[in-house]
Amino acid sequence: MSDRLDGLMNRNRLVITAGSGGVGKTTMAATLAVRAAIQGKRVAVLTIDPAKRLANALSLPTLSGELQRVPTTVFERAGLQGTGEMWAMMLDTKSTGDQMVQRFAPDSDKARDILNNRYYQYFSDSLAGTQEYMAVEQVRALAQEGDFDLLVLDTPPAVNALDFLDAPERLLDGLQSKPMQMLRNEPGDSITARLANRGKGLVLRGFNRLTGGPFLTELTEFLTVFGSILDALKDASVAVQRLLRAPSTQFLLVTTPARSNVEEALRFRKELAARGFNFGGFMVNRVHQALPPTSATPQEVALALSSGAFSDAPLEERVTIAQSLLAGLDAHNHLAEMDTAVIERLARVEGATLYQVPLQTDEIRDLSGLACVAKSVTD
Amino acid sequence: MVSTSTTEPTGATPVTAKPPSPPLERRFTLVTGKGGVGKSTVTAAIALHAARRGLRTLVCELNTLEQVAPILGHPPSGGKVTELEENLFSVNIRPAMAMEEYGLMKLRFRALYSVVFDNPLVQSLVRFVPGVNDLLMLGKAFNHEREKKPDGTLLWDRIIIDAPATGHGLTLFRLPKIIADAVPAGNMHREATEMWSLLTDPHRTAVHLVSLPAELPTQETSELCHQLHGLGLPLGLMVVNKMPTPILAPAQRAQFAHWSARPSHPVLGTLWDAAHIREGLVALGARYGHILAGLGLPMVSFPQIPTNRLQRADVEGLSDRLPRSGAS
Repeated sequence: MSDRLDGLMNRNRLVITAGSGGVGKTTMAATLAVRAAIQGKRVAVLTIDPAKRLANALSLPTLSGELQRVPTTVFERAGLQGTGEMWAMMLDTKSTGDQMVQRFAPDSDKARDILNNRYYQYFSDSLAGTQEYMAVEQVRALAQEGDFDLLVLDTPPAVNALDFLDAPERLLDGLQSKPMQMLRNEPGDSITARLANRGKGLVLRGFNRLTGGPFLTELTEFLTVFGSILDALKDASVAVQRLLRAPSTQFLLVTTPARSNVEEALRFRKELAARGFNFGGFMVNRVHQALPPTSATPQEVALALSSGAFSDAPLEERVTIAQSLLAGLDAHNHLAEMDTAVIERLARVEGATLYQVPLQTDEIRDLSGLACVAKSVTD
Repeated sequence: MVSTSTTEPTGATPVTAKPPSPPLERRFTLVTGKGGVGKSTVTAAIALHAARRGLRTLVCELNTLEQVAPILGHPPSGGKVTELEENLFSVNIRPAMAMEEYGLMKLRFRALYSVVFDNPLVQSLVRFVPGVNDLLMLGKAFNHEREKKPDGTLLWDRIIIDAPATGHGLTLFRLPKIIADAVPAGNMHREATEMWSLLTDPHRTAVHLVSLPAELPTQETSELCHQLHGLGLPLGLMVVNKMPTPILAPAQRAQFAHWSARPSHPVLGTLWDAAHIREGLVALGARYGHILAGLGLPMVSFPQIPTNRLQRADVEGLSDRLPRSGAS
């Protein structure tokens, strides 16, 4: 494990792993958390990826919506004694949303109205973008109240990860807009009334022609009941923005050596800079490491093969096998060269630390597997 | 489909005995799967396959970094439907453009459109309400489905949508149903209901799944497969992408399997390392390929191609692996 990565985790309180789908963000997030726990930290790893995969590597049976401590026996089984505390959670939008309503609603009647509203039920459960709205609030709550040395946050794939970054701002933007302010200050039908007053009802009629009237009624009702929690939500949203940009928050961009993933990582790096977030470096996962090349001929290799598994085979057959084996080495080193070429593009980014994790042919099944990956990180 | 084991991926339960129409014979096609499995490559291969059969094909990407046209050696199409080559068109659907198009279609006059959509309240609603962008993009794809030529026949023989990855994809597929249920009447209800009946029609629609032969993609794919089936969406092909291929011949592989101790001879040791890594990846691939085959969908394997930049010829090679006349 690289000292620089340890340093990064020592200096910061929130590390966010981001990148395209399938690059191993979740594994990297879990790896970092395991490493921090081994060093005695109290650490929590949070994932907002819909796939429930973190549980597998951490031997947790369920992970949804609740912060759970990874049992010390799991660490002991992996031969890792005397560790800190590792907690894990999968951000579940449904319970996150409900928790938020219960937390911010002025009273229990208002909370019940919101929870019973049909639009809210769809909104909190199914509609795209909801997850991001809700996830940021959970992270903030943990950062503020969880008393953790380190939070490691896993994010959805890149296109969504940008949504995730924008969610607090979009939320705030929406809340601070005139119409939303109006909504909070005026009674039930204000939206409809307001639309009807403007331009002699033209707007309302136009909108109704687009959606059909009932849609607007449903939505207005939702926004009205939801409006009662907006002030509290706004404060939370400001706090989230502050947290994401805090000096002790770092983004690690996870990628594989695949060209398309590297391009996404480079694009994401620019987006981060444009938004004023801290960039902690690239983590390149699944790197083919070059094997020593050989100038041996198939005949020479065939001779060497005269002892071992192929000793029974006639020389001619051993030459054929030798050719295949040499082709296999070439193919492997070709992949290693390809990886190196692509990784160089990341190395050219100014001021970027580059962490590399070698390709594993054994699957990570448990904590010792994660610890093994943690040890293999180089910079 | 709930996985209970922590080590073995589950999901070998078949979801369907036999689809009503062969997957590649259905007009409206969505391609989904876990992030990073190569959905766009598979979309490009399926589109090329259709276009080469003489079918007028439109590829829709949904507001993403456009990939399908570049994979096939063409410049990105952007927000306008663009002809890439004979019988093959593509478009990258942007929510803002989809909204304008839909708005103009329903309101008929630009002036009225401006009154409605330049209204700050309406703008704020559209931005604030989750799901609106998805609905607009899906709506535009549906409009292409019913687009007609001047003579009244349908404009497109195939519409192939490069859909978002698992979680977001499911949300997108579910959206018409949610809207149809939540909005009891009116234009939006009607549109959503029509969308839903197209999406669930096993003669018109196919959802192709793409996976990698690895543990987590396999697990996610079998969960996704069962969720889609539960929603009532008709499934199409199971495409297993980037299947590692052996370098040793079958007989040699059997012999190598017995060569379990790494030799101390320096050159042989290195050769053994390379073969050992490759054989390990091939064995893993075969294992998960087998589990994916157990889902019961017609399966196609795309081999792993050792390149940093897929060439058109590579995609042509992949598309040749698709069933010839849509038969499974």
